[in-house]
Amino acid sequence: MSTSPGKADFSLPPAGAAAAPVLRAARQRQSLSGALIAVASVAIPLAIWWGVAVLVTHMRGVPFPTPLDTYRRLVALLQGKLLVDFTIYRHLGDSLRRWAIGFSLAVGLGIVSGLLFGWSRLLERLSMPAVTVLQLIPGLAWIPVGILLFGISERTTVFMIAATALAPIVINTTAGVKGVSELLLRAAKMMGADGRTLFLRVLLPGSLPHLLSGIRVGFANGWRVLVAGEMVVGTATGLGYSMIQARWNLDYAGAFVCIAIICIIGLIVERGLLLPLERRTIDRWGLARTT
Amino acid sequence: MIELQQVSKLFPNDETGQVVQALQDIDLSIGENEFVCLLGPSGCGKSTLLNLVAGFERPTSGRVIFDGEHVRQPGPDRGVVFQEPTLFPWLTVEQNVAFGLRNLQVEASERKRIVSHFISLVGLDSFARARPHQLSGGMKQRVALARVLALDPGALLMDEPFGALDAQTRDRLQDELLRVWEIHRKTVLFVTHNVEEAVYLADRVTVLAPAPDSITADVPISIPRPRDRFSPEVREATIALLRVLANLPCCVLPSQAERPGQTVSLPGG
Repeated sequence: MSTSPGKADFSLPPAGAAAAPVLRAARQRQSLSGALIAVASVAIPLAIWWGVAVLVTHMRGVPFPTPLDTYRRLVALLQGKLLVDFTIYRHLGDSLRRWAIGFSLAVGLGIVSGLLFGWSRLLERLSMPAVTVLQLIPGLAWIPVGILLFGISERTTVFMIAATALAPIVINTTAGVKGVSELLLRAAKMMGADGRTLFLRVLLPGSLPHLLSGIRVGFANGWRVLVAGEMVVGTATGLGYSMIQARWNLDYAGAFVCIAIICIIGLIVERGLLLPLERRTIDRWGLARTT
Repeated sequence: MIELQQVSKLFPNDETGQVVQALQDIDLSIGENEFVCLLGPSGCGKSTLLNLVAGFERPTSGRVIFDGEHVRQPGPDRGVVFQEPTLFPWLTVEQNVAFGLRNLQVEASERKRIVSHFISLVGLDSFARARPHQLSGGMKQRVALARVLALDPGALLMDEPFGALDAQTRDRLQDELLRVWEIHRKTVLFVTHNVEEAVYLADRVTVLAPAPDSITADVPISIPRPRDRFSPEVREATIALLRVLANLPCCVLPSQAERPGQTVSLPGG
């Protein structure tokens, strides 16, 4: 090709080279301010907590635990001190187990029914009103139902977790399946896919991004109600149970430790596990973000 | 190989309550290993006809016969290449090509061999592990072609497969399709509204007009292969076909042309 050299040379490299240090500096400034914001987002709530603790302790004469008190109690508990008759590990383990069972039930049932409702317009029309209502029922409202069904036992807590986590999973999976393009289904059928293949290899992966966000919401619902469930249903162990029991011993720092652990675990699962999983799926498939 | 007898297709329009006639009394016969282009203006039922042969839709009346049997449902004996690539975004190129073979329960090592053969046939060896969103439009259509060729179908049904591509890519893919077709001979039904494309590719061009006119011309293209798309013969045949098309009524209002199936509404048609 013989383009005139004067026109072809837009002197991009020198411009780029000159811009590079400027860009680098800008990026450094950006990452610095990013880090500052991240630190502040933790420091400011802690400072407010501290201020409230000091203020309340002085004005009302009750021992409102400061972050430091809570931290000291946490260390003591982690070293094996008992909280409401058991170690913190036992409480945590029991809570996680209850949550895992309830949540797995919700995920399994939610995915299967979501796939079916997305597949069949009739089933969707029959069931969706009920699912929508299910979503509106506050977690604590399941307590009488659970107690009638399972008595005062761990199974009531598990039931409450499953009941509150279910609706968002069903709703999102249904939406995901309905969002799978008709053309993809045609393509699959044209390539000899039977019903099972359509479900497992087209509808399920096709609805995965939606399904994962449903699971995220379901997780948050279930995790919240776990604590409430343990508080009300006397399960004798668990973070929620010991939180409510600790106050009888005036161990408010212990109760605060439970709150902190609940927050941290929730944060780890949501930010460390579910959100990255969802992002990775979406990026890997090159899909537009749905939210 | 493909046989349409007195085929009509009506689409009820739920909103207006009207019935839209997409195809009326179509008779068409395509022989084994014949490359037929179905040509016509947008929205005159070409895609509907292809969907009937593919088994995605059933005719309102008449019969669609493939390889001596009634078409009742889609199947791997009729490989469809859509206008959109419709690849599975969660599968790699390899896995997309292997999808149909898995359904046919082809044994793993054999499957691997077939997949890599067809991926290199369409020139995508170095993209075997890529996902669809990493490919250009032309590359995606190559994968779409490879995945149906891998099933060794009796017929290839192509619904404006290159319609969404730029002119240069389209020409390249036409050449590749012909090259592949010389190696793996198939019956091809190729829907297009591009006259040059039809002339360059086809053994026979069938012109479809809006119902109730149905098939208005059936022109054999006897230019020897390999063809030169710039040759006087190709140009001559193109002009002849353009004249035929010029006499056809325009199918639909532009707003309706976008919606497949909702083609022509004829009072008392």
